[in-house]
Amino acid sequence: MRMTKNLRFHWMLPKGGEVGMKTAQETNRVLTTKSTSPAAIPDMEGWVKFARQAEESGIESVLLSFSRYEPDTIVIACAIGQFATKLKFIVAYRSGLIGPTSFVQQLNTLSGLLGGRVALNVVAGSSTAEQRGYGDFLEHDDRYERAGEFLSICNSFWQNKNEVNFEGKHYHIEQGKIHTPFTAPDRSAPEIYISGHSAQAQQLARERGSCWLRLIDTPEKLAPAVKSFREQGVEVALRLALICRPTYEEAVAAGKAMLPDEDIRKQERTILGTSDSQTLHHALAVADEVGWMSRNLWAGTVPYYGSSAITLLGSPQELAGCFLEYKKIGVTQFIISGWPKLDEMIIFGRDVLPLVREAEAREQTRN
Amino acid sequence: MNLRFHWMLPKSGEVVLQGVQTPREAARFRVESTRVDSPAARPEMEGWIHFAQQAEKAGIESVLVALNRYEPDPFMVSCALGRATKQLKFIVAYRSGLMQPTIFVQQVNTLSGLIDGRVDLNIVAGSSTAEQHGYGDFLAHDERYARAEEFLAVCNAFWRSDREVDFEGRYYRVEKGKLNTPFIAPDRAAPEIYISGHSEPSEQLARSQGTCWLRVADTPEKLASTVSRMRTQGIRVCLRLGLICRPTRAEAISVAKSILPEDKHETTTSLKDDSQMYREGAAVAEDAHWLSRNLWAGLVPHYGPVWTVLLGSPEEVAEAFLAYKKIGVSEFIISGWPEIDEVNRFGREVLPLVRDAEAKRW
Repeated sequence: MRMTKNLRFHWMLPKGGEVGMKTAQETNRVLTTKSTSPAAIPDMEGWVKFARQAEESGIESVLLSFSRYEPDTIVIACAIGQFATKLKFIVAYRSGLIGPTSFVQQLNTLSGLLGGRVALNVVAGSSTAEQRGYGDFLEHDDRYERAGEFLSICNSFWQNKNEVNFEGKHYHIEQGKIHTPFTAPDRSAPEIYISGHSAQAQQLARERGSCWLRLIDTPEKLAPAVKSFREQGVEVALRLALICRPTYEEAVAAGKAMLPDEDIRKQERTILGTSDSQTLHHALAVADEVGWMSRNLWAGTVPYYGSSAITLLGSPQELAGCFLEYKKIGVTQFIISGWPKLDEMIIFGRDVLPLVREAEAREQTRN
Repeated sequence: MNLRFHWMLPKSGEVVLQGVQTPREAARFRVESTRVDSPAARPEMEGWIHFAQQAEKAGIESVLVALNRYEPDPFMVSCALGRATKQLKFIVAYRSGLMQPTIFVQQVNTLSGLIDGRVDLNIVAGSSTAEQHGYGDFLAHDERYARAEEFLAVCNAFWRSDREVDFEGRYYRVEKGKLNTPFIAPDRAAPEIYISGHSEPSEQLARSQGTCWLRVADTPEKLASTVSRMRTQGIRVCLRLGLICRPTRAEAISVAKSILPEDKHETTTSLKDDSQMYREGAAVAEDAHWLSRNLWAGLVPHYGPVWTVLLGSPEEVAEAFLAYKKIGVSEFIISGWPEIDEVNRFGREVLPLVRDAEAKRW
């Protein structure tokens, strides 16, 4: 009998103030990058509400995004984690900002405080301008090389009981020792999600990660890459937005209703244009050229909400079917967002997830 | 202004919730906290929360949360504990050179927003060379201060203006640095910055980038001229000391002696070989263990300079604090053995005497 694991569903943690916002337009990036945006201020009330709902909706983890426009992810996870009991926190962080020894010390401490409910999403860097504000002047490819060294040191701390020694191009550690261990009921190191579409990102995921995180595409397009990752023991997670409505037509209408006015469109394109992320450029190309990637996969919102806004939309039955299609090609996890932030997650937990679980249970019995 | 009293946060697992712990046992726990199997390595909230509640009740303003490779990260600990308390402030110890200044400010600002601004910083340029190497830092003592100077200059630029931060120094370079999350507190736009150390560069760093110079207690006579110099330049002075208060001086002395190690070779000072503060501490202690009638350095050769102990009856100890106030010292960071017993005793028996005297004399 072949047992397959259930699909794992994670959700994007809303930015500060977003839990209370009712329309997608309020949450577009032009607004959230303004220094007056509530996204800059920790929003414990909204976050705790969201975390509790996520647990109720069957969500395993929340992903905390990292940027100069928002509060620090590790510190936020520490605060919200106290109010949840099952929910895990996938903390996004960039290599190059904190020395690996201190970084491991922070993550290990966090694991001890949250019963091990912490995972890591390492991003080599997003925009060159933003990196420079953080004191990082490396170019795209060098950042990946450094991220490789960074994670290699982190992994040594997590695998080794002894001292860590490392001499690389970017880091030098001599007899590194951190007494506070990574503490979790079932692991001695966090899961490491590596995101990015570039060849370097993929290589980093294979060498140092436990899961490759990328934007959703059609199962046909993804199948070969997913297969090769799985063969090397690396999981694949897809990042997507979700619109679930009773019928396909209603979902499409809800998607169209999210498109903002022309003004926002122009400003958003300016922000996106400064990025040197390949992931983003792929997503923008898709949005511009096709829009509809398949009957249920729509990139029309990408120019306004960023590359992670590629949207899977449809009725509960259609969406459950889509998730299972991805499962068939070897995808194991999803990181989802929706608008409004809280409502879409409630719909997912109520209408979509039970269908997925039923199908997975049937599949188990058949096997 | 009334004197401000802070306390050292006990190490994880140090607070005994049931039963009693002798001063000697408390001292042993602390000395052995560098062992890999010490409970001090694993964050344990229950004891900390209990201590924090007692400290608040005792009239303590802040706790100092240490950074070293043997214990949990002070940012995370302050965040978790800060969410569980209402008044207590957290002086987070951190070293420059472990993090880029922009991300450091982002963490400090985020923390401030989560715990109503109850966060301050204790910046240490570095402690032992070996420990710094493990953190990936290979600069020598004096250069670490030069880097700390730049580090704090960048941090202060973020805190002191709304403009983008541009900095080009020897150790750091930041271009159009911008963080949307501000330092959030009811009464200020930046954390207080305690700079610790005894060396000339540390004094200089305190003057150029800090708000308060933190050093180990010595006699008021020895400290007076430095304190006055610092105060003239608008920098406050905070003393770090151990406290043993008992009904009589004789009882306090016998408690202090009970902490002395049986094995005289056992020391923690050898771990911090290139800290001038530690070298001076060791030298002072050998000359004379009694710095004054109530200030004893007998533990220093074994455990390090922060084990310099103020001891005596409540009246004597209160007078000693007031003598420091007279020369311009404005605050203290205190340790006791066990921390929780001493903080309770301090709040009950010493602090009321200090406040009475302050009300009458100042």
